[in-house]
Amino acid sequence: MSLPQVVEQLRKIAGRDAVLDRPEDLMLYEYDAGIRKSTPGAVVFPQTTEQVSQIMKLASAMHMPVVARGAGTGLSGGAISQPGGIVIAFSRMNKILEVDVENQRAVVQPGVVNLQLSEHVSHLGLYFAPDPSSQKACTIGGNVAENSGGPHTLMYGVTVNHVTGLEVVLPSGEIVHFGGKAAESCGYDMTGLFVGSEGTIGIATAITVKLLRKPEKVATLLAIFESVDDAGRTVSAITAAGITPAALEMLDGWTLRTIEAYCHAGYPLDAGAVLLIELDGLREAVEEQAEAVSAVCVQQKAREVRRAKTEEERALLWKGRKTAFGALGRVSPSYYTQDGVVPRSKIAATLQFIGEVSKKYDLIIGNIFHAGDGNLHPLILFDIRFPDQLERALTASEDILQYCIGVGGSITGEHGVGMEKRNLMPVLFTEQDLDVMISLRNAFNGEDVLNPEKLFPTPRMCREVSGPARHPVLAQEGM
Amino acid sequence: VSTTTTATHLGRELRAICGAEYVVEGPPETILGEAPAIAVRPGSADEVAAILHFANEDRLSVVPAGGLTQQHTGSRPPQVDVLLYTSRLTEVEHYDAGDLTIGVGAGWTIGRLSSKVAADNLFFAGDPASPDRATIGGMLATGLYGPHRHGYGGLRDYCIGVRLVTGDGRKAKGGGRVVKNVAGYDMMKLLIGSWGTLGVITSASFKLFPAPRQTQTFVSCFPTAAEALQFRSRILRSPLDPICLELLSPRASAVLTPSSPAAALWSICLRAAGSDAVLARYRAELGSAVTHEIRAENEHGFWDRVADFVPMVQEQYPRSALISMTLPLADLHPVLDEFATVADSNGLTSAAVGRVGVGHLLVGMWTADGANSTSANFVRAVSGLRSTLPRDAGMTVLHCPDEVRAEISAWAAIPTDVKSMRAVKQALDPNNVLNRERFVL
Repeated sequence: MSLPQVVEQLRKIAGRDAVLDRPEDLMLYEYDAGIRKSTPGAVVFPQTTEQVSQIMKLASAMHMPVVARGAGTGLSGGAISQPGGIVIAFSRMNKILEVDVENQRAVVQPGVVNLQLSEHVSHLGLYFAPDPSSQKACTIGGNVAENSGGPHTLMYGVTVNHVTGLEVVLPSGEIVHFGGKAAESCGYDMTGLFVGSEGTIGIATAITVKLLRKPEKVATLLAIFESVDDAGRTVSAITAAGITPAALEMLDGWTLRTIEAYCHAGYPLDAGAVLLIELDGLREAVEEQAEAVSAVCVQQKAREVRRAKTEEERALLWKGRKTAFGALGRVSPSYYTQDGVVPRSKIAATLQFIGEVSKKYDLIIGNIFHAGDGNLHPLILFDIRFPDQLERALTASEDILQYCIGVGGSITGEHGVGMEKRNLMPVLFTEQDLDVMISLRNAFNGEDVLNPEKLFPTPRMCREVSGPARHPVLAQEGM
Repeated sequence: VSTTTTATHLGRELRAICGAEYVVEGPPETILGEAPAIAVRPGSADEVAAILHFANEDRLSVVPAGGLTQQHTGSRPPQVDVLLYTSRLTEVEHYDAGDLTIGVGAGWTIGRLSSKVAADNLFFAGDPASPDRATIGGMLATGLYGPHRHGYGGLRDYCIGVRLVTGDGRKAKGGGRVVKNVAGYDMMKLLIGSWGTLGVITSASFKLFPAPRQTQTFVSCFPTAAEALQFRSRILRSPLDPICLELLSPRASAVLTPSSPAAALWSICLRAAGSDAVLARYRAELGSAVTHEIRAENEHGFWDRVADFVPMVQEQYPRSALISMTLPLADLHPVLDEFATVADSNGLTSAAVGRVGVGHLLVGMWTADGANSTSANFVRAVSGLRSTLPRDAGMTVLHCPDEVRAEISAWAAIPTDVKSMRAVKQALDPNNVLNRERFVL
């Protein structure tokens, strides 16, 4: 069957207005928020689970690669198609199917936007906890695929900690159910395996999530430091003092000045680094913790600790954090965001290492990240029009991730492995570790129709890591 | 080939892998009445891999074991070739008190791990029954937990890494030692509650929590389960954030605390952590509903007994059935009612404890005083309860009289697609070496 014939079949399944195949339309679906591109052969917008099942059956029969796509806000290439493949876009499956207050659950379609769910249940005093910085746009289906996190992951966990049940379309087209509304189920935790499997096992078409009660009290503090070192040490000191904030974010001086110029959040322009610390819960407990955290910050040489007095002040502090990426777009044509994780006690040392990498490759690297759980987001600035800069940015990023692994960390805390980090998987996992995971993938997706060439390295890559190698992106793009 | 020859051949192989002192042919312990041919205590993940590689080639049946606290669960296996103990897997992979993480071998007991981290003012949230015998590996494999589930989340929330050997002898891992990590498939989730059917867990890493500086338990008593659960709902809607929120049926209170003054009533037991000001707030919010407070040593003893509900019932009433159920919150009340009815109509006394803020119930039943209940009564009660379970509920018979076991399935009401579960089993244990015919698959 030729591509136009497949497109015709897709139109029969999903509707005449539910398939894109003109080059100018497909261009919009060739990238995500990272730096890779690949043009799909068709984009289809199913409206029902049954249609997703029929599309999967068609694609499996044709051996055409398929990738599910939410809002395309991912940073690891998870939602990018193979050249000529089918993108199943979920923007028309965006309904909140059920809000079950008594059981503290909601059932949603994958295209529901993360923040919309929280807004929808806000009047009930409830919210959905995972809060990626892209939450105004990203979808819950995408959150499930990548096991997304956000600033409040520190206290509340990543997406998997908030999903109890799934309706899934397998590569065979079969529609199955995993788990349900109960917090745990008998049998294997297929829901837990599925969340974060990056679209390689199946496609979620309905998601049962936990809704949490909004905390009674929230305190948001901004602790200002002369140096990144002092701020980094404060993070471990807060943890060691037995306090688990709801969120604990760090912005280095360069980043906060860039943000301040863009959105006037009230960040100090002359600081070396700031910590944005949020505490939530019972009023009495929050007040005590806010005092204790302030004391630790001062002890660790904070110049000043400010506390948001109003909801507006709090929102402004967070606005700065959440729009950071937009702010960077104003100062650099391209940037590359990494997602390494280190043990919390290694943050200060890792930031020093990132400083050295920045000098070594002559690239500006900003740091804005989830310090409380050791999840770093170095932002490497470069200009994609100069291939040598891209190459340096990619090599710098790989150096940083290798360092993270070296101190006992990981290559991704919330963005997923996708296309971009699969060459590093053999550094984190042995060949046999990966072999076991791949045997699980093959149990469902043996033909590798669903999101091929993601998450796991090809055998070629396994060999490449040991010696000096060109980054796979450069190789792919012929650079 | 006679059984003796086979056993000897097997013994030779295992002795070559682990050393003669760690292999016992014809051990005294039995698994649900089935005598294992051989017991072995490997000293490393490599030795576990060698044993399972061999077992896979020869299609042997292997039962992984920790402290033998839950081996009474499941169907009787037709044959046990190897009883594989994890008791020698006791290395500390990493302990970073400042990072609030620890990684230990699967053979560590819960009690030992809790004491180790308590010395640094940290708290390990896993609290299954019999902590001095139950092991880390067994806790993960069974997925069982106690009252701290309410405030600290489940095993799937704070287990951050795992190492295992698959049924076909491949060493593998998932996660790592950092608290946030989404690289690769989440093997932890798959192993938790898999009852040793996918792999032998050799070590695991956990998030730890700061130990609470002080705690207090508030007990409120009600004449009916309905009123107790209404009070539970009021707490869930309030800003209170307790670390335990437990329901005790009148009979359960009697089992746990024979001298309890509230033995005729249903109680909601709430454990709060925090400063004097925080505890005062709890007192104010809970108001006159509180019948009494439990403090200090008494409080620890009380919660240890709640966690030990299952073994306490087993000890006091050896001829009993004990069932674990996971339910959506709204279904707790109808299921408790149904349970009381089916037990009663079969001449059985019933008791229940539950993490009623998250939807977990442990129910027990045994022959009522003066009644003469038969195996058939137990079978009818278990099946009766099972047939009325609502959608999304799960049920595991943890323990029952031997002759009842053959008549019932230990696992019931599984909302997850069984064919997908089989595909996972096939991928990790293709020759069905691990816990053969004991689990749902």
